[in-house]
Amino acid sequence: MTEAARAVAEGLFVTDGENAVLLGARCEGCGAVYFPRPLSCRNPACHEKRLTAVELPGEGTLISYTVQRYRPPPLFRMDDWAPYAIGLVSLGDGIEVMGMLSGFELDHIAIGSPVRVICAPLYTDDAGAPVHTYQFAPAPGR
Amino acid sequence: MSGEVLVAGVGAHPWGKWPDKSQLALALNAIDAALDDAGLGWRDVGALVAASSRFEGGMGWGLHANEVAQAVAEQPMACINVGGACAAGAIAFHTAANLIASGECDVAIAFGAERMPKGFIPRPPGGADDITDTDFLRWVAMGATNPAYWAIEAMRRRAEHGTTDETLARAAQLMRRHAADNPLARFRDPLTVEQVLASPMVADPLHLLEICPVSDGAAAVVLCSERMARRTGARTARIAGSAIGSGAFGDPARRIPSIASTVNGGTIHTSEVISAARTALDRAGLSPADLDVLEMADNSAWHLLAWPELLGLCEAGQADWLIDHDGFGRDGIAALNPSGGFLSFGEATTAQALLQICELVWQLRGDAGRRQVEGARVAMSAVLGLGANGGSVVLTT
Ligand SMILES: [Zn+2]
Repeated sequence: MTEAARAVAEGLFVTDGENAVLLGARCEGCGAVYFPRPLSCRNPACHEKRLTAVELPGEGTLISYTVQRYRPPPLFRMDDWAPYAIGLVSLGDGIEVMGMLSGFELDHIAIGSPVRVICAPLYTDDAGAPVHTYQFAPAPGR
Repeated sequence: MSGEVLVAGVGAHPWGKWPDKSQLALALNAIDAALDDAGLGWRDVGALVAASSRFEGGMGWGLHANEVAQAVAEQPMACINVGGACAAGAIAFHTAANLIASGECDVAIAFGAERMPKGFIPRPPGGADDITDTDFLRWVAMGATNPAYWAIEAMRRRAEHGTTDETLARAAQLMRRHAADNPLARFRDPLTVEQVLASPMVADPLHLLEICPVSDGAAAVVLCSERMARRTGARTARIAGSAIGSGAFGDPARRIPSIASTVNGGTIHTSEVISAARTALDRAGLSPADLDVLEMADNSAWHLLAWPELLGLCEAGQADWLIDHDGFGRDGIAALNPSGGFLSFGEATTAQALLQICELVWQLRGDAGRRQVEGARVAMSAVLGLGANGGSVVLTT
């Protein structure tokens, strides 16, 4: 990624410029996986509650989605806004993550599709620098 | 509960947009009506429990019970303020019921009043702009509005149960049919399935008329002990069970405003609500099959299909057939939101769960006029609030 690039939030993901790796956590006590990294394990049966930073898998399965047809409130920024899809993706180990979909035709999105986690520019900040978010793009079938 | 706790009176201000009325004025209007209904006055009231506002009012903290006391009845009272977002009304009711059950007082009022901001509900102030606040992340990382969460559930239901656009539209249509006879509802014009499906798509597969808007409104419930009920002779409904709940670890529900879930296979969907409803029914010694009326939070048409199944009124996947065959009308297996529901009211967050309880009481007393469910004897509410708050109340004649 270029020097000017920045993410919508620090600590959410890292990127090599094209792919994004989501930054999660795994509890050493009970094995639960979280995203983003939480303050504590949330499993009431877990006494150890010792979290280790992990990188989540780069591929998963689309388990549901929607297409947002209205522009969200201003906290959401997007250059050249147009209706776009938000997907719900299972990355395995019980972790299900929402994120924008990229590279799907809005009227031809199939639940069950394999997806990969990418990094994409979302908007240009006030200093003229692109701000990036993670998205899910179609992956070659496995 | 040790002693019986009864609902002695209910009241509500009509839902709508009321730019010229303060939130406090809306609250007083509803409380006055409830006290009148109960045949009681302020001097009888020992406790005031506010479903506290998140959006407006008060001295910078939202609408609190103390503010009402200072406005209308300066006397010694226990003034209690509870949060819980859209479930706050149920939590206020539950708190008031326990104050009476414990013997602390003979009369308590639970109330909620809200004036909502326009459009999509925005992020509240105070959170940090970093990964510790998912209500920040959901906006900046993907712009996920509230309807998007319900739409993702609805889309998954389509894949799992074959739910059609027409069935979702029929669920919305049913709410309007019920609301047509409710002067408190904001939207009372009947709808056709075609009209619902012709309304703009907001978040696939949910159309505008399948999503609850936001409204201003207020509702109040007067609760009392048996001793007080005997004194006044008010027409009461009995609190057979009341419970509040929180979310269970591993729940697969899309939970606003989170951007991810840690899911396991064994936890029921929408656990904060379902656990509360099961506990309330257990406390009442009743089962879902006993219900004549269910007032539930229909933030979207999807909720009207999913929740009756989760609450045990029918099997998973069966609600589509019931909606398509009028199984949830006034003559159905249970009347689903005879008030017209959130879809016809628009949500006034803190007041909504108390409005549900008002409707249960009117139904049980036979006061519901043209929307009366004949012979209603057992009625339940179920509501969900942001932050994994759930509440449920079972009332009987
Ligand atoms: Zn753990």
